[in-house]
Amino acid sequence: MAATLTGSNTKLRDDLIRLLGTERVMDSTLERHLYAKDAGVYIGNPTVVVMIETTEEVAQVVRAARHHGVPIVARGAGTGLSAGAVPEVGGVVLVTTRMNRIEEIDAENHTAWVGPGVINLDLSRATTPFGMHFAPDPSSQSACTVGGNIACNSGGPHCLSEGSTVNHILALEVVTDTGDVMIVGGGAPDPIGLDLRGILVGSEGTLGIVTRALVKLTPNPPDVRTMAVAFPDIEDAAATVSGIIAAGLIPAALEMMDQLMMQAIENWLHAGLPVEAGALLLAEVTGVTEAVEAEAEIITRIAHGNNALSVQVAVSPQEREILWKSRKSAFGAVAQAAPDYYLHDTVVPRTRLVEAMRQVYEIGQRYQITMMNVFHAGDGNLHPLMAFDASEPGRLDEVKAAADELVEICVEKGGVLSGEHGIGIEKRHLMPLLFTEMDLDAQARVKEAFDAGGVFNPGKVLPEGSRCFDFGRPVPEGAWV
Amino acid sequence: MGYQTPYAPTRSELSSCIQCGLCLPHCPTFRLTGKETDSPRGRLTAMTAVLDGVTGIDEVFTETISFCLGCRACEPVCPSMVPYGRTLEGARAEIAAQKGGAARRLRGWIMETWLGSPAIMRVITWATAMVQHTGLARIAPRRVRSGLRGLRHIGWRTASLRGRSFEPERAPVATVGLLTGCIMGPWFAEVHQASIALLVRAGYRVVVPSGQTCCGALAAHDGAADGAARLAVRNAAAFRAVDYVVANAAGCSAHLKDYHHWAPGDTLGEGWQVRDITELAAEAVEDGRLPRLEEGRGVVALQHPCHLRNAQRIITQPRVILEAAGYQTTDIDPVCCGAAGFYSILRPDTSARLGRDKADEIGRTGATLVASANPGCEMQLRSHLAGEYRVLHPVELYMQALSDAPEGQA
Repeated sequence: MAATLTGSNTKLRDDLIRLLGTERVMDSTLERHLYAKDAGVYIGNPTVVVMIETTEEVAQVVRAARHHGVPIVARGAGTGLSAGAVPEVGGVVLVTTRMNRIEEIDAENHTAWVGPGVINLDLSRATTPFGMHFAPDPSSQSACTVGGNIACNSGGPHCLSEGSTVNHILALEVVTDTGDVMIVGGGAPDPIGLDLRGILVGSEGTLGIVTRALVKLTPNPPDVRTMAVAFPDIEDAAATVSGIIAAGLIPAALEMMDQLMMQAIENWLHAGLPVEAGALLLAEVTGVTEAVEAEAEIITRIAHGNNALSVQVAVSPQEREILWKSRKSAFGAVAQAAPDYYLHDTVVPRTRLVEAMRQVYEIGQRYQITMMNVFHAGDGNLHPLMAFDASEPGRLDEVKAAADELVEICVEKGGVLSGEHGIGIEKRHLMPLLFTEMDLDAQARVKEAFDAGGVFNPGKVLPEGSRCFDFGRPVPEGAWV
Repeated sequence: MGYQTPYAPTRSELSSCIQCGLCLPHCPTFRLTGKETDSPRGRLTAMTAVLDGVTGIDEVFTETISFCLGCRACEPVCPSMVPYGRTLEGARAEIAAQKGGAARRLRGWIMETWLGSPAIMRVITWATAMVQHTGLARIAPRRVRSGLRGLRHIGWRTASLRGRSFEPERAPVATVGLLTGCIMGPWFAEVHQASIALLVRAGYRVVVPSGQTCCGALAAHDGAADGAARLAVRNAAAFRAVDYVVANAAGCSAHLKDYHHWAPGDTLGEGWQVRDITELAAEAVEDGRLPRLEEGRGVVALQHPCHLRNAQRIITQPRVILEAAGYQTTDIDPVCCGAAGFYSILRPDTSARLGRDKADEIGRTGATLVASANPGCEMQLRSHLAGEYRVLHPVELYMQALSDAPEGQA
């Protein structure tokens, strides 16, 4: 798309500068280029980028954007992978990183009011003195924002036992498409009336802009055991996962990585991972000391029954930390294999992990793409990492084709499109694999109810034509560049 | 459009960034503004944009790159191991080459010729001592005054160490060549004395080659690349005969370790080995070549210079030395203190803000003794710490403890 500013956009920029000042409005070629993409592979074309600091400013920017007929795409740290924050059709990129105040921690009720720009890990660090943390822990938690977690309903290794972000949000302050401010949800665990909070979490910025959130804090467990179990191959590791769940245990986390992945991480981190092994299972159990010891014992026994090569239990917090660091930095280490990567996110029923993994490798071989695997084994959430070089002509298209095949095999097995990254641009064309026309129409009508003018993140999540009466574009023509 | 010098960031360096964003929260400038343009990922993307011709070296690019402190806090947290510091030097060399005005050229000339010349440094030292001794400092502008407060007490004249060598009592473990540096010699003479005494005690033969010059770090960080390369070549020749080159300023040891980017292979030779003094000292403590002294000397706040921690991954060594000296250490959060070489002069507001944050943090530790293994950080800390604080190099603290120790123990 052409990167030119039309007359009306110059007026938009002037209006935004009047509202926010020049330092907070960016529209040079380079600045727009830097906000054209997130951590994934899709590239958009922002018209103008604004740094906002207050709820009132968000409301003003929404009114200005509507007045000029341009859409708004909210963005936190830009660590998303499904292009939710990519301004595909231009418009205002509204950056929330400065709304990073932890306003109030209510230690008694285990809640906190936070700005959307608060970094996930900063929130957990700030609540450590109270013996609590924010449970969703995506791998990017050291950088990603709570606002982004809400938009994508993010998960993380510990959502096996704790559930994803939606389970940890009690209330939201939201700026609507009319530039009004509303609060949905409240302190009570079960919201009264229709659960708008549940609709907004995971809506990827398509329904409104979250400006504050009341989050639920989770007490830190009294004790924890983190174990690294090495296996000759993925099959044995997967069988162990099934065995653990079948034994009635729900560990805090059950993570797996394959050999290529371990090697890449080890190169960087020197964490002492068993790089000779075919697969590594990270298992974490939490609770009172007697319980975690008993559960660790059971896991060890099941692992040995499935040919485990070694079982290493982290004895110090430092050892535990480095195991988790190795897991959570996995996707970054992939650059050692090739200059670009595509980190996928699909889900299969846990019982079909092994056959799904075989097909993942088979697809990699067929497309000649290096597949490295690291995933939330406990809930069947696969994260194949495809390493490639986007400068080779046509390569990105091949990778995208391989990605689509990955989704198809997972859906065939009774899985779903996405575990925790969101749909964004990346997977919206695959939505019909999972949803009927009726389902999509219902979702499109929700979008319409919140944002009839299509100002918020247009074109994301729902494929074109989701609304049953739509045969063309789902948004009014000529509304933006 | 594009890049023009051999120092430019290369495609392979830049493409190792996969834009995951894990560096963002570790970047002091990103934490100040929250802007992608002020983050390591944004800067790397900007460098790639110039390489691809998306944009030229314009004002926005120059500001993006110049705002960076060069603290390299993004490097240890990068799972893709992007050589950020190298690309930054390359981008700055390009800005200097393509946009270099008279002021920048003058700066480059000063950084090569003045810092590289002991005679000129003597004159500067004499003038600074004059200001310090006569009370002229009192009428200096506020910023200059704050800078002057960071200095140690400077003597009128310092005996030159160049050309001298120091022998250990027994057969030497190795021969090390001490870099005297630009300001270290005249302004931090005590650190050199402590370093030499410590190295000799640890069994090293210490030589101070006379042909050496400034390491060139300040020039390289500012984009004065040709000057930096010439300084590197001179030092490569001067230190040819030693087993290790050793420096006691983190910025210098880090830059010397990067010489393979600056001096052509044939001038550097295969045996180019550089160690920071804290590495050699900690090794000697662990090998028993330096004694562990009695505990109970009190608490010292340990500042981690970026070019020690991030550029060289030297993290535990200063603590080993201080604990061997009998101190209890308390770590200060390793965010850049804002000194960052000439940054404190070029961007005083950002520098002062970070300096004040660091001083507040030290205040919270309750310690009044601070250890820093880099002269730039030391001066920055001292100029922002109000009250009775002492800021010294870990090696000095160790040697002081050693000289205080009873006969049998030392």
